[in-house]
Amino acid sequence: MKRPCTALVLAAIVAACPAVTSAQWELRPRPGVPKGADGKPNLTAPAPRTADGKADLSGIWMRTTRIEKPGSTPAGQPPLATMGNIGAGFKDELPYQPWAAELVKKRTGGYDNPDALCLPQGPGQFHNDPQPREIVQLPQKTLIVHESNYMLRTIYTDGRRLPKLGEPQPYWHGYSVGRWEGDTLVVETNNFRGVQGGNPGDGWLDSRGSPFTDALQMTERFRRVNFGNLHIDVTINDPKAYSRPFTVRMEQVIVADGSEMIEFVCHENQMFLKMTGREALK
Amino acid sequence: MKIRAVLLVVGVGLLLTVRPVVAHHAFAAEFDAEKPVKLTGSVTKLDWTNPHAWIYIDVKDDGGKVANWGFELASPNGLMRSGWTRFSLKPGDVVTIEGSRAKNGSTNANAQVITMNSTGQKLFSGANPQAPQ
Repeated sequence: MKRPCTALVLAAIVAACPAVTSAQWELRPRPGVPKGADGKPNLTAPAPRTADGKADLSGIWMRTTRIEKPGSTPAGQPPLATMGNIGAGFKDELPYQPWAAELVKKRTGGYDNPDALCLPQGPGQFHNDPQPREIVQLPQKTLIVHESNYMLRTIYTDGRRLPKLGEPQPYWHGYSVGRWEGDTLVVETNNFRGVQGGNPGDGWLDSRGSPFTDALQMTERFRRVNFGNLHIDVTINDPKAYSRPFTVRMEQVIVADGSEMIEFVCHENQMFLKMTGREALK
Repeated sequence: MKIRAVLLVVGVGLLLTVRPVVAHHAFAAEFDAEKPVKLTGSVTKLDWTNPHAWIYIDVKDDGGKVANWGFELASPNGLMRSGWTRFSLKPGDVVTIEGSRAKNGSTNANAQVITMNSTGQKLFSGANPQAPQ
């Protein structure tokens, strides 16, 4: 109920400031963007393909602005997650193990949110951050560069197997291996730094602090449904933290206006520790 | 008490209608949505820094005493995508800022709406009191 209202307020503010909203940097539209009859990017045109015929996920992507009421997901598709709550689209609460439910209560308020601490975000955060991410699809690997907190994920697509738990050392983003099933890139990730990692910012799936452990095996299914839209269906399988696996969707929309990623050095003026009393305020 | 005199409390409902440009940090850990502030002052500094830009203004109370207030804004990246630059405000500009006060009681707050007093122009929508979103 609140979102349409707030969107109108923002629109009114933007409309009131036309002289300032033109103060953008130079736009550099990329070649190959399909155009409609009106000359604007045609976001519903077919998804592009790489030279070897695979669906090409490359591009700069913003999270969707679509809102979904809990329990209103159309049949046959996973509910939409938010950065704040990976289970936001479910009618019921996530199937937390008792200790995990208790930990979420303790984390309420975001005091140790890794995003706020300029640490790597959890999976429900980095796919849903309001800042963009760029997917670079290469023959042997796919890179995802997240503008927020300058995060980099490497997804190996050279045929290697997912390593056993414990080798390599646990990673904030886990160790990711991808394979193609038709036009869908299926990415399996394990070897995460879970809540056992020792940092209070370890093991946050989302900004409310839904935890994950080092037992997490995450499956992401990336499908570019057309030129302008990418669906990422994420399955969280972590029996230590959740009594059953669950799957949610994170939607992305292509950035087609030619704007680019912007440098983001999170520790440049980190005030969060000061504002929360853990460092001296000026 | 004098500081309190310059705090014009506005309706919480009004603040809750403001949509974020970018919400990076955990709002609730730093700011109190139940303590809205509306202050007018002269810009002393704009820190165009990550992860959040900060704007500082000198606010005069009824007795003429000046306090420097800091307001957290969205990230420079989010502000740029909304059309703003580090030159959009300069020292000496008089602005009115609505936001939520810091929980630690310092002269800091989260800015949601900034109005240029000379033109009435609104700028720099800030982070969301309801974050995480």
